[in-house]
Amino acid sequence: MKLRPFPSSILVTAAALGLMVWPLFFPDAFLYFQVLGMACLYGTLALAWSIYGLSGAVSLGHAAFFGLGAYGSALLNHYWHWSPFLTILAGSLASVVFGLIWSFFFRRLRGVYLGLASLAAVEIPRVIIDNWDSLTSGSMGMTGLDRLPTLHLGDWQLAFGADLKAQYYLLLLLVIGATFLYKTIIDSRWGWALRALRENETAATMMGIRVNRERTKALLCSSYLTGICGGLYAHILGLIEPSLVFSLHVSALPLIFTIFGGRTLFFGPVLGALLLYPLEQLVFQPLLPQGHAALYGLVIILTILFFPKGIAAWITRRASA
Amino acid sequence: MSITAFPWPQIIVSGFALGSFYALVALGFSLIFGVTRAFNLAHGEMIVLASYLAFVLWKFCQVPFYLTLPVCLLALGLLTLPLYLLLRRLKEPYALNTLVVTFGLALLLQNLMLVLFSADYRLLNSGLSSFTIPGLGLTFSWNQVVLLLLSLLATAGVHLGLHHTFLGKALRATIQDQEAAQISGINVKSMSLIAFGLGGMLIGLAGPLYGQNMYLYPLAGAEATLIAIILTIFAGVGRIRALLLGGWLLGLMESAAILTVGSKWRELVSAAVLLILLYFRPQGISFRKPG
Amino acid sequence: MCRNSANKALRFILVLFFPILLPILGPPGAALAGKDLVIGEIDPLSGHLAQHGLEIHQGILYAVAEVNSRGGLAGRQIRLISRDDQSRPEVAINQAQDLIFREHVIGLVGGYVDSLVGPVSELALRYRVPFVASASLQSGLTARKNPYFFRVSCLKGIVQPLCGFLGQTYKAKKVAVLHVATPGATEFAASLKSCLEQTGQKVAVQEKFRPGWPDFSVLLLKVKQAGIDVLISGGFYADNLILVRQIKERPLGLQAFIAPWGLAYPSFIREVGPGADGLFGTCAWNPGITQPGTEQMSREFVAGFRQQFGEEPNTTAMHGYTSARAMLAAIEAVLQSGAKPTGETISKALASLDLKLPMERLAFDAQGDPKYYHHVVVQIQQQKMVVVYPPDRATGQVDFSLARR
Repeated sequence: MKLRPFPSSILVTAAALGLMVWPLFFPDAFLYFQVLGMACLYGTLALAWSIYGLSGAVSLGHAAFFGLGAYGSALLNHYWHWSPFLTILAGSLASVVFGLIWSFFFRRLRGVYLGLASLAAVEIPRVIIDNWDSLTSGSMGMTGLDRLPTLHLGDWQLAFGADLKAQYYLLLLLVIGATFLYKTIIDSRWGWALRALRENETAATMMGIRVNRERTKALLCSSYLTGICGGLYAHILGLIEPSLVFSLHVSALPLIFTIFGGRTLFFGPVLGALLLYPLEQLVFQPLLPQGHAALYGLVIILTILFFPKGIAAWITRRASA
Repeated sequence: MSITAFPWPQIIVSGFALGSFYALVALGFSLIFGVTRAFNLAHGEMIVLASYLAFVLWKFCQVPFYLTLPVCLLALGLLTLPLYLLLRRLKEPYALNTLVVTFGLALLLQNLMLVLFSADYRLLNSGLSSFTIPGLGLTFSWNQVVLLLLSLLATAGVHLGLHHTFLGKALRATIQDQEAAQISGINVKSMSLIAFGLGGMLIGLAGPLYGQNMYLYPLAGAEATLIAIILTIFAGVGRIRALLLGGWLLGLMESAAILTVGSKWRELVSAAVLLILLYFRPQGISFRKPG
Repeated sequence: MCRNSANKALRFILVLFFPILLPILGPPGAALAGKDLVIGEIDPLSGHLAQHGLEIHQGILYAVAEVNSRGGLAGRQIRLISRDDQSRPEVAINQAQDLIFREHVIGLVGGYVDSLVGPVSELALRYRVPFVASASLQSGLTARKNPYFFRVSCLKGIVQPLCGFLGQTYKAKKVAVLHVATPGATEFAASLKSCLEQTGQKVAVQEKFRPGWPDFSVLLLKVKQAGIDVLISGGFYADNLILVRQIKERPLGLQAFIAPWGLAYPSFIREVGPGADGLFGTCAWNPGITQPGTEQMSREFVAGFRQQFGEEPNTTAMHGYTSARAMLAAIEAVLQSGAKPTGETISKALASLDLKLPMERLAFDAQGDPKYYHHVVVQIQQQKMVVVYPPDRATGQVDFSLARR
């Protein structure tokens, strides 16, 4: 199937504009700032996951990178009192280091077995952080992290930490930037190389693609971006605990959003996050307060059965039919 | 010899009991995976579901604990039928798709169980106590003995069934090479159905025992799934005896880990074992070559 | 044609989004619902902490019903919205956000264990909603000044009497501490250890376990091997139940078994039966164990509680009641002064509160910790709780032979 970039790009730009403009009409919709802001964060997480997914990997363990980014950032903030934006960028390097270890040990693993290994890999940083009491306070978690700082632009103040609207715009900007990055990667030679080795590794090797190097590069990009999401999460919340950031839930969300949104199109992961997360938070949670996450399970089964290419592919197909 | 001076016999006892139980947990997974190549990440959730069924029967219908075993056996055997139909519809890459779909199924089941049974922790109590072997100072609980016996019985049953019945031989042929089995006139589809049915019954057997030995709560399944995967990779499919061996090893390692380095590191054991196994066996599960 | 189908796609997206937009277009609900004052409660009503969460919930319900039955606060009824966090922090965060943004609550109460209270306290600070936690210990939560966070319990009030009791009675050579991996219990273990070691009592085994750990046999083996005299369990109700049963199966030669949480409960004694005799626990309150001078108040509470729920209140329910009483008293003070009840005014009123309640005289220090929170040590004798420490509140003597296991 040939991709038709024209209508989808228009749709995406329109959606991005819509997301930027609506707060002007509803300046007090704090619930929506919060939920859509988190949807943007998880959208970025899904994009990060998809960068690694381009190479054919299905990771069930991105919570490891998320948690390491969160802890890296929190530790720098706690011990050296760096400003949050700096700690997020620097602390996420912890995720990259883990990414390096990961790609070395898992270099021979593919497909299902890579998925299984990633599932187990989360336990290692989690248990270590949980038990390293002197450094990370262990199960006590770390409290009292600095909020995101306030930016002064002349008279205009952007209090990312205190104002939900400013936080929403920050996260929206993040997800737009990440979408742009992801599109650039997909369209680049490297993106094609990654997809080539997803489709047929032997053929890709024949064409001169260095399988391990390209896959490692993809994982490092992915882990850094995931780490940034984790760091942001830590500072948005102001507190982290091992069970909070190294949870199966965090690993599952990007997978679900990407598969629902669509793996083949650049805006698929974000679309999945922006549709599903608010749906779950705003509609299912009040309806079914106990088991609202059941939605995710149902969605993933139905998507694989009926729209294996995801909802984005379906929309563009309808739009261009 | 007093146990205070030398605790290893006690460790070995609890390790063996735990390990036999692990083997029982892995049996259904291994059978389904071997015959159909379907990775069932909802395995643990199905065990927990069976466990809840037993709990409801035991607590609210006053069914004696050991009578819940056959009920769960049948119920789960039937419940795997929809799963079979669901997984049959999946396209290539089959293994990866089953992984993702059953991951979704696991989430769905977890949340449904949250709604149905709430997040409370429950424990099935079979009303058995413990006894001490006087000379050795070893303490057994009857639960451990029952676990040991049932696990051995189940594994022996499956082993004998696979090796000494016509159906078992056909199943083993399918495990070893699907295409060759098909050429020899074995109906691979019905073999899959049978594998799901049998696997479901084994899950149904493991369920009530799970609720008796571990706390029962809706999110408890993940650990059981992990154990099933580890043992299946360790043993390779179709090797029932190796499954038991792997279970014992894992059980002993966990018990020893608690005693030597402390309970807080116990959770690392199974994850580390899986990673090490995969490092040395990157293509995962080995299929026994005929001959 | 292209535009037409793009329209179709947009319509499709609108249909998907429509249910999400409904609340934004419709009336905001709670904010305009009437003149009721809305306060929110977040508690583990299910999950491994459900037992204690439900008890706190009952205490809070009782406090609210008590106020509403005497006509509300300054003529306004109180509406309580209770949410279940399933004993999971991420759910607690989610529910707290929902209460703050959707329901526009003016105050939050409840909470059991710090992994659930901590995140909510951060949200309270961030969105300026006062939060009075029912059961929270971790010192980190109040160390950095959070003017919107208050709690009716603190770690010091448990560790000091426990440490004093051990130093005065047992002077144990070797102590073991087994505790759950929650923030408060972890800090409890560390703080108790340093206190005990100052008095020359050695903590030889310190192990942490996940909440809901099913089998302590290997851990207990380790305790036995180390030749421990006094075993202290930093576990909750269910953990202690299993520990006590397994110790009964395999006697360890202990001089005493002490559990600060989840043991000094009538339900625990009922569940374990005669085997509970000799065990030590701590509590801040129980029917019959009250602050001197508040006996009358306690009796009324017990009678009213029994009437409403058909069962006896216990120390956890009292914590819930105390936290709700603090919140309600602060709101009342604000209303009486003629000010509007907002986050700022209510937390100011909370900071200057001084109440006499059955559990404690309740006043908060500058950090939001209670000034007068003290546990007493009880020993179970003939299925009854007997206060054995501190001496000025003791109602009986320690029975050393009964305590051995």
